[in-house]
Amino acid sequence: MPSLCVSCKGKGLCGRPACPILERFKSLGTTPKLSDNIFGASPPSVFVGRYGYPQVSAGPLVPPEVTGSDAAVYDSPGSWNNLSIRDIVGLRSGLVRSNIKFHVKDASNPDAMLQKTQELALSEKPVDTEVWFSKVPRVGLRFDGVLSPMGPAGEVTKLDIAQNPVVPRQVDKAVSDTDARAVDEIGELYNADITVDHINRLLSIGLLGKQRKIVPTRWSITATDDMVGKMLIDDIRYFPEVNDVLLYSGGLHGNHFEILVFPGAFAYELIEIWMPKAVWSTGATSVGSDWEDYGGKKGYSNLGGGYYAARLPVLEHLHRMHRSANVFAIREITPDYWAPLGVWVVREAAREAVSSVPVSFDSVNDALDDMSLRINTVSEMWRPESKLLDRKMNQKRLMDFL
Amino acid sequence: MFKAIIESEKLKETIEAVSSIVDEAKINLTPDGISVKAVDPANVAMITLNLKSAAFEEFTATEGELGVDLNRLNDILGMAEKAEIVEIELDEESHKLVIGMSGLTYKISLLDPASIRKEPKVPQLELPARIVLTGTDLKRAVKAAEKVSDHMGMGIDGEIFYLEAEGDSDRMRLDMTKDQLISLEPGDARSLFSLDYLSDMVKSAGKANEVTIELGKDFPTMIKFQIAGGNGEVNYLLAPRIESD
Repeated sequence: MPSLCVSCKGKGLCGRPACPILERFKSLGTTPKLSDNIFGASPPSVFVGRYGYPQVSAGPLVPPEVTGSDAAVYDSPGSWNNLSIRDIVGLRSGLVRSNIKFHVKDASNPDAMLQKTQELALSEKPVDTEVWFSKVPRVGLRFDGVLSPMGPAGEVTKLDIAQNPVVPRQVDKAVSDTDARAVDEIGELYNADITVDHINRLLSIGLLGKQRKIVPTRWSITATDDMVGKMLIDDIRYFPEVNDVLLYSGGLHGNHFEILVFPGAFAYELIEIWMPKAVWSTGATSVGSDWEDYGGKKGYSNLGGGYYAARLPVLEHLHRMHRSANVFAIREITPDYWAPLGVWVVREAAREAVSSVPVSFDSVNDALDDMSLRINTVSEMWRPESKLLDRKMNQKRLMDFL
Repeated sequence: MFKAIIESEKLKETIEAVSSIVDEAKINLTPDGISVKAVDPANVAMITLNLKSAAFEEFTATEGELGVDLNRLNDILGMAEKAEIVEIELDEESHKLVIGMSGLTYKISLLDPASIRKEPKVPQLELPARIVLTGTDLKRAVKAAEKVSDHMGMGIDGEIFYLEAEGDSDRMRLDMTKDQLISLEPGDARSLFSLDYLSDMVKSAGKANEVTIELGKDFPTMIKFQIAGGNGEVNYLLAPRIESD
């Protein structure tokens, strides 16, 4: 079982008023120039908090005095692969969060401020935005297990968009259709090459589906990863099985992935290993696992959002290969992952791995031996956790008796 | 062409037995009844099922096959009361299954049978031991095993049929002598099975008055029982696990 801190990731399950792990990082950021009126281009980015649900705080994120295309980098994890953890935290700490109180159901009947926030969320390019706060935003840096770090925040009194958003045609179509289900719209947007980040933004600020609601960002991220993933699995199930045993390896920011693909009807398993001294670790190595068989996943993963985030690039890869397979993935989190950056790290690290050139093996056992060379944690600690490997090694098939 | 009238309970039993192995199935139609042969995606468990026309109040069918999403059908049949009469008809024009029950009419889309996993080859097994027991007894043993492990061994020791499970720290063993069973033909038999599969299988088998188990040594087991008041038969095959020690 994963330790309490590893599964909680700052949600407060230990009962302390503030997370002692998160408190450590508060001094990391750089403070942008703050006043009660800021102007800058939102990357675009919106944030919806979960406290007080269904009364939530939501609004655009804006880097003061950063305009035009320079702003895009503030909210595009896909382009952060060459930045260090310190760089990313620094970047995010320059993003000011505006808080406006909404009821989640306001989405279908938005007031002027929500309308502007929604308009901004439609854009695929940065949107010049001016925000007036009730007082100078409080300096701070917030970390979370799922969300990217966030900088200062303040209560908004007035909001203006100083530029027309650039709205892709497919986005416009999905948002104006109030008769389609969110899950179907998400599928169409994804197929039209709208990024998962953009889809998540639309879902979160209440622009998709029949009965529209504002959705806290940390929920909408995983909901998007899961819905897109399920859609891909629906195809993958019917693809022919891979013929070979293939091993992919790679990672990002101390999130190392070994992804083993071998013949079989679709099944996916993720083993998470938190090494001592990695963020959230509490001294000892902590191992958790979850899997889904051909029939799909029921209920929420005990590994949290990381399960769905890691699954997505793997599924995208199988979909591109037009192949179904058994997938056994290990995510080992090393001490190099020393500050929580959000669940996008898991997605990008897995993406890094599946884009490596795979090495082919004669047997699953040979591949596991090779994989063990790059995993710091001894295999005795993770091998027994795997249901998929257990089935592969210990379960006979009926065709063996023909 | 396919048109049938049946007590909802009998149809539910049939669909449930299949859906513990697969989510989608090809249902074969003949003038004598319906049949299914399906294997799970991991090729570990298999079902062959026959439901004779006598199980139906009315039954007319020509040779054909229906691709069915079983979860969807289960869900709809959940609307019917136990003894309620259900009418099913294939609408050939729209290629939908029309299901009627006390005023309600559903039209459910059928799957392209070609998109469903091919029917498996059925291994021909000569299994040395044969045990007949009540479904209730089998279900109880499986439930007991689930409490300590992920797999359960079944075997014959002299004139005793035993079921046992061993977890990290706990064990379960149930011995059944000949007089506690309906019948026993002993033989050299001992195999280990995954409870993931057995648990699903006993959901249906557990309701039968008599369940026949055929066993071998590290060989698949065959679990056989009747449904629909004797007018149908379910035959499960389950591949064994390798004993770890």
